[in-house]
Amino acid sequence: MLQPSLSRLRCKARLLAALLSLAAVPVAHAQSQAQDSEPISPVPIFSAGLAYNTFFQGGTAHLHPLVSPVILIPLGQNWLIETRETFEIDLAPEPGSDGDYKGSLEKEVDYLQVDYIANPHLTVTVGRFLTPFGVYNERLYPVWIRDLQSDPLILPISTGPSGAGTGAMLRGGFDATRKIEFNYAAYFSTLSTINRLDSDRAIGTRAGIFLPGPRVEFGGSFQHLLQDDHSNAFGFHFAWQPPPIPLDIRAEYARSHNGSGYWVESAYRLSQAPVWQNALRHVQVVGRMQQFFNGTVADDALPGIDTSMFEFGLNYYFRDDIRFVSSYGRQFAFQGNENVWNLGITYRLALPMWPGGGK
Amino acid sequence: MNGRGLVIAVLLVLAAGALSFAGVTAGQEMAKASNTPPPAASASARVQQESGEDARAEGERRFHANCGRCHQSPHKFPPRMMATIIRHMRVRATITDEDMRLILRYMTQ
Repeated sequence: MLQPSLSRLRCKARLLAALLSLAAVPVAHAQSQAQDSEPISPVPIFSAGLAYNTFFQGGTAHLHPLVSPVILIPLGQNWLIETRETFEIDLAPEPGSDGDYKGSLEKEVDYLQVDYIANPHLTVTVGRFLTPFGVYNERLYPVWIRDLQSDPLILPISTGPSGAGTGAMLRGGFDATRKIEFNYAAYFSTLSTINRLDSDRAIGTRAGIFLPGPRVEFGGSFQHLLQDDHSNAFGFHFAWQPPPIPLDIRAEYARSHNGSGYWVESAYRLSQAPVWQNALRHVQVVGRMQQFFNGTVADDALPGIDTSMFEFGLNYYFRDDIRFVSSYGRQFAFQGNENVWNLGITYRLALPMWPGGGK
Repeated sequence: MNGRGLVIAVLLVLAAGALSFAGVTAGQEMAKASNTPPPAASASARVQQESGEDARAEGERRFHANCGRCHQSPHKFPPRMMATIIRHMRVRATITDEDMRLILRYMTQ
């Protein structure tokens, strides 16, 4: 009686061992896959945008060198410290002199912020941040990104005295469906009169919808000032990159008590040209039309009167990070019309600040 | 089926699983080395490779859709730099978590 029972027990033990071994295969495989998809350890980065532009406005030449260093310091898996400064000089002929160019160095802390990625849909930002009103100030402003080197006329509307706020911001994005992505930002900024760190006391929000299929993005911004006349401002933005062709179409509208206006910009990279493709694929043609209408309260950063302007640009990309830029524009205003020319070069670099970061 | 038969059957399945796993690993190594699909890849390896290619294609699509919204497509950076840049872009351009993972995977492969 004991012999068969012992045999059955051994058989069960072997079966159990075999099943455990079998189970170990997918576990080992899963572990291997987990190791393959292990998060890559980020390194601190030093980056910079550099530009040297020559503007000819109303017959006067302005030489405009600019350096804009960016430092990114990731901490752990959820933190990021990031900062960007801008150093620029506007050298113009001194009135009454014999062609001597003079100008002073202007310094600005564009942003200095700490980001905490709280969850896949929420990032908390504290510090000095670029005001998320429209998309130009946050995304298109750097000299190595913008297709035309001049600022849109309406850029100062609701971005604050220096394009930045000081306080806290919540932001994020998520897939609403497979074909629709939603992004948002909401912020509170306090009044700051510190030199190079100035900002208005305000609350604001921006929301946008991105359709990845047709590559269309549109959205709106709102800001309420918590100082002075407690006025409101709002704006809309639109962008479209039709997938079959290398064309960018962007537009913004903004309105506040300081004024209102819009800009529409289109940029086309000649990478699909049927002839001379080797040369033309580096060339980008840009056009921008814009108008500003004066408001009830004057703002030094905005034109003092109704102004219209069109610009055409031609950029040549030597590489994706270095390019020659040029443009011609004409500005129409009640006090007189004038031509605006620009010739320049822009460069962007990025270097690891940590040994082994380049691997 | 008696106990011995069952054990043999289980061991055969185990061996097949181990061989299949070895085939996947070897296939991946060969694919990495020669950039061509392994000639004797098993069905599971093919499925895995196809899903990898799908993820890569999806990452490339999301890279052009998201990064191209603001600037010309940059060249690839080393993986550890790319991990920092994509975190910066997640905050700056409010790209989604899913976009970030797929773009990082595409840019570091």
